[in-house]
Amino acid sequence: MRLSWKVVKSPQRRWHCPLVMWGALMASVVLTACGGEDKETHSDGPDFARLGDFPSTYQPDEAAPVLIRGATVLTGTGEKLLNTDLLLKEGKIAAIGDNLKAPKKGLVVEGAGKWVTPGIIDVHSHLGDYPAPSIESSQDGNEMTSPNTAQVWAEHSVWTQDPQFALALAGGVTTLQILPGSANLFGGRGITLKNVPGRSVQDMKFPGAPYGLKMACGENPKRVYGGKGSLPSTRMGNVAGYRQAWIDAAAYKEKWENYHINGGDAPDRDLQMETLAGVLNGDILVHNHCYRGEEMAIMMDIAREFDFQISTFHHAVEAYKVADLLAKNNVCAAMWADWWGFKHEAFDMTEANIAIVDQAKACAMIHSDSAVGIQHLNEETAKAMVAGQRAGFEIQPRHAVTWMTRNPARALGIDDVTGTLEKGKMADVVVWSSNPFSVYAKAEQVFIDGVLMYDRNNPARQPHSDFELGILDADGERLPEGGER
Amino acid sequence: MGISNSLRAGVQASLFCLLGFALGAQGQTILIKDARILTLGDQGTLENGDLLVRDGKILQIAEELGDVAAELIIDGRGKVVTPGLIAPSSELGLTEIGAAASTNDGAVVEQSIGAAFDPVVAFNARSTLIPFNRAGGLTRAIVLPASEEKIFAGQGFAIKLTGEFDSVTDRQLVQKVYFGEYGAQLAGGSRAMAFTQLESALQQAKEYSDNRDQIRRGQWRELDFTLDDLEALQPVLRGEQRLLVSADRASDILQLLTLADTYQIRPIIIGAAEGWMVADQLAKARVPVVVDVLGNTPDAFEKLGARMDNAALLHKAGVTVAISGPGYAGSHNSYLSRQAAGNAVAYGLPFEEGVRSVTANVAEIFGIDGGVLAPGGAAELVVWSGDPLEVTSFAELVLIDGKPQSLVNRSTRLRDRYLHPKAGTGHGYKN
Repeated sequence: MRLSWKVVKSPQRRWHCPLVMWGALMASVVLTACGGEDKETHSDGPDFARLGDFPSTYQPDEAAPVLIRGATVLTGTGEKLLNTDLLLKEGKIAAIGDNLKAPKKGLVVEGAGKWVTPGIIDVHSHLGDYPAPSIESSQDGNEMTSPNTAQVWAEHSVWTQDPQFALALAGGVTTLQILPGSANLFGGRGITLKNVPGRSVQDMKFPGAPYGLKMACGENPKRVYGGKGSLPSTRMGNVAGYRQAWIDAAAYKEKWENYHINGGDAPDRDLQMETLAGVLNGDILVHNHCYRGEEMAIMMDIAREFDFQISTFHHAVEAYKVADLLAKNNVCAAMWADWWGFKHEAFDMTEANIAIVDQAKACAMIHSDSAVGIQHLNEETAKAMVAGQRAGFEIQPRHAVTWMTRNPARALGIDDVTGTLEKGKMADVVVWSSNPFSVYAKAEQVFIDGVLMYDRNNPARQPHSDFELGILDADGERLPEGGER
Repeated sequence: MGISNSLRAGVQASLFCLLGFALGAQGQTILIKDARILTLGDQGTLENGDLLVRDGKILQIAEELGDVAAELIIDGRGKVVTPGLIAPSSELGLTEIGAAASTNDGAVVEQSIGAAFDPVVAFNARSTLIPFNRAGGLTRAIVLPASEEKIFAGQGFAIKLTGEFDSVTDRQLVQKVYFGEYGAQLAGGSRAMAFTQLESALQQAKEYSDNRDQIRRGQWRELDFTLDDLEALQPVLRGEQRLLVSADRASDILQLLTLADTYQIRPIIIGAAEGWMVADQLAKARVPVVVDVLGNTPDAFEKLGARMDNAALLHKAGVTVAISGPGYAGSHNSYLSRQAAGNAVAYGLPFEEGVRSVTANVAEIFGIDGGVLAPGGAAELVVWSGDPLEVTSFAELVLIDGKPQSLVNRSTRLRDRYLHPKAGTGHGYKN
């Protein structure tokens, strides 16, 4: 198995733009943001996150209001509303209710028989960093040169013309976090993107979303560096590596805070330390690739030792074993429905994983880590839901939908602006051909900030990247018109 | 599942009781009543039918069998019965953990052997992958070697997923060979060399066949392949064994069709991401395909034409299509071929053909038993909670040779141990 990815990844988080701030969080970064423009915010401390360095230039197109009429709506807040209207206006959800008035000028989507959900959010993707086609020069997701590469930023590898973004969009994905791989203890920063065409990655950046820091437990770092005869070559070596880095980061943070308060000579900037200090001050969210229960428990103790919060354990094949600890520590788990066995730490899989974590009152979600899986997160969620029902839990679609919408929004620190269908939130919305928890359901229309970014019935509203032009057919696109991607 | 005997006790309980009861039973009579039955055979689909199993065989399938004495009677209302799923491409029994070399027996390195490599003796019937995939409705699988050095991977075989030591059903069933990008890589960097190696092997296998005695005595020119490899290719040349060739790009597939015609061999194309572009040629040559439906990303230059409706277009052109589990999920989730088939149906493949692509077509392509339900045939079937291709459905009863199979596996064991995780030592004493 190629070590590039399955093997590599991890996340964690912190919040920003947080509606719900769970956990202890200190921070203080007043991110302007959350829908607004990025600014160098940071009212009361050094700016370690540096949201303003590569600011989002994403601007939703102007769009007329949209009325989706008479659909079955899964709000992502736990409700299932029958025969309900949804009005999107000026990029936001303007109203949800009965008999909403059709806008004078705008789009009306007849929702009879259709289901509506918030846009799907994938907390774990490598699109753009491991783009298609996969060739020697496209392996941009894993800086496998040192166990700590917290200084690298996944956004700086994103090839925006990766044709897989559009495939994910056709699967209903409106927001995704691009993470570095998991070869390293600290893989670098992750970036949250709106799934829109962009000439630059800044054109895709989710305004105001906090950065993620990718960390990795377990087999990958120890294999990669142990194989090179350097630390870490064991799991205990991994842990020593994390702790030393946090000790260094705490010192760095203190140095800058002293300077911030007392003035004097500015300390030297260190990109690696900046990212870690951004975690310590709560601006950057830890996304931690971690399969084993034991390792999750240790990582949560490390977080306590250094006073930071882990957002999410990714892959978390054994999250069910420690679901109560996750709940207690306010740590989310991002999981697959049934993927297993590709390595030892993925051996103890249960299909009820998501359901058990959820029932323990921890924050559970589906994730893909795959350019294929990301297109079918509704199906993956459906399987996880049924596994929960078969375990004896009462789990309905109105709740299970949160595993692919609200909870990943929470993990990314953007749940105050997206992830649910509530008045005032971003109009990130999917209209499904039927109950999305079906293999036959298809995303028919996908709206991002109220703009129709994908329409299955209208090829003119199906994006295709530069790469797809003149491929296979110089006069055409990658697939003939009407071709089902 | 409703069970019309005294063991009835709620859904969960009834299943476990059923298993406890059934696993010990020999020569059992089982009656499934009032189910939707997709025979995929002469009897077509019965919307509300009965099926009687006795002594491991299907005795009868009919609209109404009336009152029949049976040890086990299953209320099939709302359920769907299909033949058991068959995986067209797996390493079941040859792998336990992908990244643990000691648990993998599917490929060799630094050995002279190629086509003659036969991993069947390494098959482990007690692999954890078998009960898990069986619980997903998989009753049979084609097990294939892989290769990291030569384009010829060797001999594939077929198994039943009983978990019994004697569950290999067909040995030396198929020869696996790589073409396309991976074949080119193995052959030194060019498809042309991979093609040459493939053609030379066939040519020299024929030469060997025509001059066996002299060659065996060493009175012949030096050949490029070992005698064992050339011997192993004889059934392919005779058309008795199929050649499973990986290829995705349309032009690669066409080259293989030409080669197959020249040597009168019977290929199966595995991959075929751009198969839809040459579907008519595949149909005309009567060459079947094994496709990874969910592999619609153009993740290689040989797959630029990948698309979700590939299976539908191939079928429409008259190509026999088998569907494998999603490539990214590997052998561990081979049973997910049904989810892939569901997607193929969502993208235009007729429903019954979707079911066939994970059952009957696989059996037909590889020439093995199973895949249809017919009186006199083995009772190898699945009772599904609903639509067999739907992600919310699951296997409620799996029969192999008329015996209800255990649906317990590590996934369910771990689930039951940690259903309500909590501090303490208790979990260590739970079964």
